[in-house]
Amino acid sequence: MKQLKLVSTVLMVALLLVLSACGTSKSTSGTKTTGGDAEKKTLRVVTDAAYAPFEYQDKGEVVGFDIDFINAVAKEAGYKINVEHVGWDPIFVELDKKIADIGISSITINDERKQSYDFSVPYFLSTNKILVPKDSDIKSAADLKNNKTIAVQNATTGQEAVEGLLGKNSDKIKKFENNNLAILELKGGGADAVVADNTVIEEYVKNNPKDNFVVIEDSAAFAKEFYGLMFPKDSKIKADFDKAVKAVIDNGTYAEVYKKWFKVEPDTQILKDQQ
Amino acid sequence: MDFRWDILVEYAPFFLKGTILTIGLSIASILIGTILGLLVGLGKIMKNKLLAWPFTIYITFFRGTPLLVQILLIHFAVVPLFLDKTNPILAAILTLSLNAAAYIAEIFRAGIQSIDRGQMEAARSLGLNHVQAMRFIILPQAFKRMIPPLGNEFIVLIKESSLAALIAAPELMYWGRAMQGQYFRVWEPYIAAAVIYLVLTLSLSFLLNLLERRLATE
Repeated sequence: MKQLKLVSTVLMVALLLVLSACGTSKSTSGTKTTGGDAEKKTLRVVTDAAYAPFEYQDKGEVVGFDIDFINAVAKEAGYKINVEHVGWDPIFVELDKKIADIGISSITINDERKQSYDFSVPYFLSTNKILVPKDSDIKSAADLKNNKTIAVQNATTGQEAVEGLLGKNSDKIKKFENNNLAILELKGGGADAVVADNTVIEEYVKNNPKDNFVVIEDSAAFAKEFYGLMFPKDSKIKADFDKAVKAVIDNGTYAEVYKKWFKVEPDTQILKDQQ
Repeated sequence: MDFRWDILVEYAPFFLKGTILTIGLSIASILIGTILGLLVGLGKIMKNKLLAWPFTIYITFFRGTPLLVQILLIHFAVVPLFLDKTNPILAAILTLSLNAAAYIAEIFRAGIQSIDRGQMEAARSLGLNHVQAMRFIILPQAFKRMIPPLGNEFIVLIKESSLAALIAAPELMYWGRAMQGQYFRVWEPYIAAAVIYLVLTLSLSFLLNLLERRLATE
């Protein structure tokens, strides 16, 4: 009897804690509205700076293609911005709670995300590719199904693509905090392949020739993806930034930034077709 | 706030799987850590300073560096050195037990040194040798005093096993993170994980209370 009382007390306390937590979140969420009077104030741009060359930290400073691009776009649109590294999952949480105004972090535009967020017009074309050791017997996406362990970054389209092949939450998929840890796992031998956006793993192979990794393309299995700026749902600044993204692509600034980071000319036509 | 029970139900089997691994990781680490801790603790109280020195270094290192650093180091660097490939579950058990052993060693040392010197002298004068006196007189008494701090350490260990999610060991927190990543919702996965961890730590302290009462002499 005494035990029963103890258990019920504990349950009551836990329940109260949960309820009180719910209460506070409700009362605060209504007061935080950003975006409406954004004309003057500095916009908070959040990113996950662990995805070179798109966004990464160089001696503590967030740099990369995305950062140069958003700076150019914000200048075009007439906004001041402040880019902050918060990590991948927090980007989505902060935009959902409207604590941040824009997310830029090689975020692929897809229908699932469109339900909860707004996206700008696409600014980058990307496909998922497979990173494997040179002597691997994996030659295509279909080979990943042969009892292979695949490392991905949690909640990326790379994970989605692999889950499409192996089934959701398959034991053969290892989900990591970021792409670098996934590649480390491949290097350590705990995974047979990494699936991620092509630019990032191609950059890795280029910078680490000693690892003897190669990149495998399988355009039949992995569809084309486009990156976009992500906004909270019904963001008021979206229209301004759409216009600015188009302008930056048209006036050649985009090509300049692109060449600076990727050393090749961009194919802007494919982006314009998507607008 | 809306609370989506449907995604909790969807992830329930994964949370169950994760909880089983968390329990497994914790039990294995508690056992290995306790045995290792006893050895290290006994090593540190050796009279010969030169022999005791490596044990002091061990405790200094594992108590003085963050567990997160240790887990990444062991998973990505130490384990591949010996196995030729990474193994998250092995790395997690290894890190947790090595780390816990450093704390447990100090708990053992405190327990042993808290027993009055007269006990050892009395045992020796009755004809027991040093090892026998340790085994039959000192350790049983010391062990009783070690239960509360050991309980603390075990509870900390269960909670810290959540760091294994970072090296993709599919334990409880890993599935919490996976669920959060899929739906980009915070309340459901983390409240669920918190409640399960609470149940685990509460059950452990209940067991320790039981043990303490069983061993009580008065």
